[in-house]
Amino acid sequence: MMKDVSIGRYVNGDSVLHKLDPRVKVILFVVYMASIFMARSPVALMATFAVVFFMALLSRINFIEILKSVRPIIFIMAFIFVINIFTIRSGDELWRWKFLVITTGGVENAVLLACRLLLLILATSLLLSLTTTPLKFADALESLGSPLKVLHVPVNEMAMTISIALRFIPTLVEETDKIMKAQSSRGAEYDTGNIFQRAQGYVTVLVPLFVSAFKRAEELAVAMDARCYKGGVGKTKLHPLRMKGSDYLWFVILTVVAFLPLAVDFLWKMK
Amino acid sequence: MDSQIKAIPEYTQTVEAQELTFAYSTNVGSDVLAVDHVSFSVKKGEYVAILGRNGSGKSTLAKMINLLEYPDSGKYKVFELSANDEENFWTIRSNCGMVFQNPDNQIVGTTVEEDVAFGPENLSVPLPELALRVEKALGYVGLLEHAKKQPSAMSGGQKQRLAIAGVLAMEPELLILDESTSMLDPKARDEFLHLVSRMRQDKHITVLHITHDMHEAFLADRVIVLEKGKLRVEGTPSEVFSQVDLIRELGLELPKWAELLWEVGKLTGHEIPRSAFTSEKEAIKTITEILSERKELSAPPARTARKVPDQVMLRVKNLAHSYDKKEKKTISDISFDLKKGEIVAVIGHSGSGKTTLISHLNGILRPLEGQVEIWDEEEKKYITTDKNTEIKKIRRHVGLLFQYPEYQLFEETVAKDIMFGPKKMGYSEEEAKKLMMESLPLVGLSEDVLERSPFELSGGQKRRVAFAGILAMNPDVLILDEPAAGLDPVGQKEIFGYIETLRDQGKSIVLVSHDMDKAAQIADRILVLKHGRQTFFGTPRELFSEQSDYLSMRLDCPLLMRTMKELKKTFPYADELEFDVERAAESLVFGGREVTDA
Repeated sequence: MMKDVSIGRYVNGDSVLHKLDPRVKVILFVVYMASIFMARSPVALMATFAVVFFMALLSRINFIEILKSVRPIIFIMAFIFVINIFTIRSGDELWRWKFLVITTGGVENAVLLACRLLLLILATSLLLSLTTTPLKFADALESLGSPLKVLHVPVNEMAMTISIALRFIPTLVEETDKIMKAQSSRGAEYDTGNIFQRAQGYVTVLVPLFVSAFKRAEELAVAMDARCYKGGVGKTKLHPLRMKGSDYLWFVILTVVAFLPLAVDFLWKMK
Repeated sequence: MDSQIKAIPEYTQTVEAQELTFAYSTNVGSDVLAVDHVSFSVKKGEYVAILGRNGSGKSTLAKMINLLEYPDSGKYKVFELSANDEENFWTIRSNCGMVFQNPDNQIVGTTVEEDVAFGPENLSVPLPELALRVEKALGYVGLLEHAKKQPSAMSGGQKQRLAIAGVLAMEPELLILDESTSMLDPKARDEFLHLVSRMRQDKHITVLHITHDMHEAFLADRVIVLEKGKLRVEGTPSEVFSQVDLIRELGLELPKWAELLWEVGKLTGHEIPRSAFTSEKEAIKTITEILSERKELSAPPARTARKVPDQVMLRVKNLAHSYDKKEKKTISDISFDLKKGEIVAVIGHSGSGKTTLISHLNGILRPLEGQVEIWDEEEKKYITTDKNTEIKKIRRHVGLLFQYPEYQLFEETVAKDIMFGPKKMGYSEEEAKKLMMESLPLVGLSEDVLERSPFELSGGQKRRVAFAGILAMNPDVLILDEPAAGLDPVGQKEIFGYIETLRDQGKSIVLVSHDMDKAAQIADRILVLKHGRQTFFGTPRELFSEQSDYLSMRLDCPLLMRTMKELKKTFPYADELEFDVERAAESLVFGGREVTDA
């Protein structure tokens, strides 16, 4: 029942976006975030949508699959939209009912914010979650964070921690499932009974899960010691991140593309 | 760091240890000696097995060799380098590979190849050599096509082979196996052992193997037996195992053929020569010699057959289940029944649907197709486990104990943990307490553990507490999934002893087991699952008889039966379908002769 839990929603593929160096993707993500927040006019927003559409084509992932990543935030989007539309009062009044007022400014702001949020999620999905494995993402953070080593930030160790956490998610999910079955055989309740009984039900799962996680951690530490782990010092890498010519090229292309909407907007206003 | 790992000079002794001692402090205050003045040596290329009960100090001793633990006193050399000298630390450790018991808790990498690379990466092996080593190691253990996969998706056997690959990529001189096979099923275990013997041949690797499996011990050149931290016996397997009384005193058991040899000797009053314990072949030769002598004997002990009442407690009819409608059925066409006071063993390889089947027996899964019926003694009628039956009603009758059940303990005290089940079943505090007190002696627990925390008990004790927690719910039917897995031989024997007692008290038991000898010996009937289908249901005798096609079910025959079949060639009256060692020996000794009752 819990087998399909996965971290991120990586979709296998070998498109340009899949192959792009993950560090480039992390930087591009920041660039796109900036560009999305700088787009204010309807023209700029439309152009940004076109850019995201272009990236979606580059990723060669099924559109439905891409749109699925919006699902978890639909509620938040709706919430922000409603709050904005009713609270911002500027421009002409469009509609009034008792204390609720909708103004043109409110509508503009609500649409703008909802669109930005939508664009942000789509860009994040396309650049990171859908096309980058969690491990590569951790590698990128390790590499980009390496200057922090000067400040004695344990960057390698943090990356190792993240990668081990990712490695153990499926194991712990499987274990949770096993413990739940064992405890429900003893009469523990998770989805029946009153709140108190349910809470107790979860205690019967969480305590063994923690005990076992600590045991696992201890054993894993010994196993890592046995394989000569000594932190990041002198450690080589099977798949080191290496920037290729194509990575530089796509970095430039996608950066330029990111700012196209602003240029379009600027030209539009010049007219 | 590289400079700290030096090449090892030529050597002939892999380990030379003198008076190694290791103490750990307990919360009571006094120190306990986990390893107590142990001296031993291992030659280069040798295969040494370390045996002993759980807690005898085997693991601690092994961990001292690759410097995961340091002795409190004693001197030792590894690869003829002083292990007491800090200067040799990385040189020694980097040349020792260790494979642990739990496959899941030694995999570091997010993908298979990343995991294999972990060791050499730490040893600063540069590319492209690193990639080459990973590829070679994965190829060697036969996992190359899984290189990019996630380790969590692999079977237990594959995971242990992955662990071997991770060690191989470090190109070690010494391989330490710390109960590495104990969580594997028989097929995976054989593959693993085969791989180790191949490595010894190809790479002349020295092996130190901690194990509870006596058949594995016989693969070794030499055996070391520890008891409470002290080295008790040392020698070749036949030297050690011919001292049968001592072996039993140390909490070990004999391989099946050696047990048979011993029994035949006992029944005929023959002294068994030490050389007979060298191998199964030698044992068969000796038995043949003894039996050919045809000594005058007293009558065999009288035995009464156990009677099983006819009351059917649990009936499964045409059960089928699939987790996903589109997918193939996980189990299908399962029909069997379980009588009062009967043991039915369920056998089948990993992934054959055993867990899915037993989950149906106490309502964790409700049948989608077919039926499960449970006898209600009070109301004198059957109840079914379909959706309309209240779950508590099912669980009052059927108790289910999953594999490695010690993981299900969660309460502050043992008493609270055992009473959790009965209270959930609706028993009052007093009734629950009474049920708890009744369940304790059934699993050999004494009352003084009741107020302790379950987490401070030993592994074997925890297992009993979990078992008691199910028994306290007072079910008529018990479903036990590999109840003895991972315990040492004494622990296993005790658990099966409790199971037999429960059966004699009228409990009906479904036992899932990998151990074919045990299943054939203890079960009244056996259910064989293959790819989710029931391929056989009947008595062990029927299953392994000439007419049955157990080989086509890809089942191994019991080890005892293998020896008996060999003997049957000379002694046609040998009953190879007798799965209890004593009775099998009796069939050999008393078969084919007129016994005059004195």
